[in-house]
Amino acid sequence: MRKRLIGLSVAGVLLAMTGAAAAETVKVGVLGVFSGGFARWGAQFQQAITVYQKHNGDSVKGNKIEIVYRDVGGPDPAKARQMAEELILREKVQFLAGFAFTPNALAVADLITEAKVPTVIFNAATSVIPRRSPMFVRVSFTLAQDTLPLAQWAAKNKIKKVVSVVSDYAPGHDGEATFVRVFKEAGGEILDAVRIPLSTTDFAPFFERILQQKPDAIFLFGPGGPSSVGMVNMWAQRLKPAGIQLLTTNETQEIDLSKIGPAALGSIGSSHYTETIDTPLNKKMRGDLEAMFGRDTVPDTASVSAYDGMHMIYQVVEKLGPRPNPDEAMKLMSNMKFDSPRGPVQIDPATRDIIQNVYLRRVVDNGGRLQNRNFETVPMVKDPWKEWNPEKK
Amino acid sequence: MQTAVVILLDGLAYGMVLFIISVGLTVTMGLMRVVNLAHGAFAMAGGYVAAVLVAAGMPFFAALVVGTVAAGLLGGLSEITIFRPLYRKGELAQVLMTFGMVFVTIAGLTFFFGTDIKRLPVPDYLGGLVDIGFRTYPAYRLFLIAVGALLAIGLWYLIEGSLYGARLRAAVDNPRMARAVGIDVNRLFTITFVGGCALAGFGGIIGADMLPLEPFYALRYLVPFLVIVAVGGHGSFKGSFVAAITLGLIDTAGKFLVPSIAPYLFFGLVFVLLLLRPHGLWPAKSAG
Repeated sequence: MRKRLIGLSVAGVLLAMTGAAAAETVKVGVLGVFSGGFARWGAQFQQAITVYQKHNGDSVKGNKIEIVYRDVGGPDPAKARQMAEELILREKVQFLAGFAFTPNALAVADLITEAKVPTVIFNAATSVIPRRSPMFVRVSFTLAQDTLPLAQWAAKNKIKKVVSVVSDYAPGHDGEATFVRVFKEAGGEILDAVRIPLSTTDFAPFFERILQQKPDAIFLFGPGGPSSVGMVNMWAQRLKPAGIQLLTTNETQEIDLSKIGPAALGSIGSSHYTETIDTPLNKKMRGDLEAMFGRDTVPDTASVSAYDGMHMIYQVVEKLGPRPNPDEAMKLMSNMKFDSPRGPVQIDPATRDIIQNVYLRRVVDNGGRLQNRNFETVPMVKDPWKEWNPEKK
Repeated sequence: MQTAVVILLDGLAYGMVLFIISVGLTVTMGLMRVVNLAHGAFAMAGGYVAAVLVAAGMPFFAALVVGTVAAGLLGGLSEITIFRPLYRKGELAQVLMTFGMVFVTIAGLTFFFGTDIKRLPVPDYLGGLVDIGFRTYPAYRLFLIAVGALLAIGLWYLIEGSLYGARLRAAVDNPRMARAVGIDVNRLFTITFVGGCALAGFGGIIGADMLPLEPFYALRYLVPFLVIVAVGGHGSFKGSFVAAITLGLIDTAGKFLVPSIAPYLFFGLVFVLLLLRPHGLWPAKSAG
């Protein structure tokens, strides 16, 4: 028995050696959140990657693409750095990807610069990130990018006075700054800019105050999950009856929409991805996500970014082979232009950030199922923050 | 003036939810001297049971009853199996054990239901808006205030006016003496614990609109629950009612008037109150 085992393994090693000349394994380390309160991010990354590999195979020109997942557990910079180190040194990954939260992405900036590991950001949306390392490229969005067309649309559509309501943390401040700046430039008036502490449970008094200020609309940004749902519900109870419009970015995204319920009807949102986008690729991706992971899977912004991020990595391996020079890989990725499930996208070579359509949309009731429906497309929006802050790092 | 009415209503509704959930905790902490950090888990358990039943088609009020009973039963079960051995173990063991229970519930609920909010929709006739003279106001919040007030009156009678209440107060004030005069304090413990947990479950269900159900519920709202117990005084029913309503009102008014410093206002008030009355507003006689 033992002899046979040895014989088998020797044969295996020989096989592997003869194969090695032609094909290698490309390792991609994905840092995500797979446990705890934010586990849905990791699940969305992983499901989208699985579907991408189903569509395009798990190898490129005979080179196997292997995904190594690591669970950061939440916004935890120290752990993110430690795991990235481990992925680079021990697993010897050629690419890093993932990153749901900004602090986790920023924590690995020095590391990937030094180790020269091309890193694709699947979510983290604070504008500054790609400036922190030449090895970053972002395939998701920035909050300023999604907010800009919303503020312009509001100013053009008889909305004169707005109160900005954001959760009191970094992305909320980004959203507030963008909306206030763009809306004022377009001639609108900001009555008040409220920052709600993250620990808030009852939003009623904040919204009661806004009711007194009598704006035409509110601009709302929440941290996703319970707080966002609570804020949208409070708008529906207190402000909607008074005719105050709700303007949001991703608060009504599909994954939260069923928890908000009919209260979300009539709100206006702006996002780079809407579930009802009519592209063949979107239908194909959503269809397979549902087929493989069940009807309740909600493909969302994070799924699309992960799907596109894999596409970019596949392209690099396709064009530069399994052991690409990191600088060449970054150059190639920074100039990519392709069709995403969300529509046409391209990477801006100057900033390594994505340029994409931003869709203005409305929540509608489609036969008992709530959906976001686009009514206007603002083509190829760049992140405005970098033009406003040319130096900031 | 009209604004003041709305703030008053909002503050009362918030205070009532806090009161219903934490009154059980204040009595058990006062009576049994058990630091029960897992109290929110019973509120959450009631809420989840009701949410699952409502989603399966059960009417809201039937689910409210079943969820409350389920939280009480769960409370009784854990009193017998987990809390009894803890009574004599000292505070550190109690804190560690009950805090560990919180993590177990978080992991368990995440496993079965995922990390998203569990929606518990209120019935349509309560979900709308009613005209309160000068404007519309959510009917559900008025319902909360009414239920909270009725419950407070009922509990007040139970504790101040009934034989059970007299025994309970005796056991809180001086358990040794109560035993000596023939009160079965252990049985009283179990009954009270079950009642407290059932109340928490009840509060978790009817308060789900304000404190949304998700796996981290027990941890997220632990601080407000403990604050009410501390400010009200361990074992004091009256104290926890006054503390919950006061803190609900102050928090609401603070957020309305000065939103930027509201959290400081809330905890500042707690700080001052505890400085003046370290044992709470109405401490039980033997506390401290």
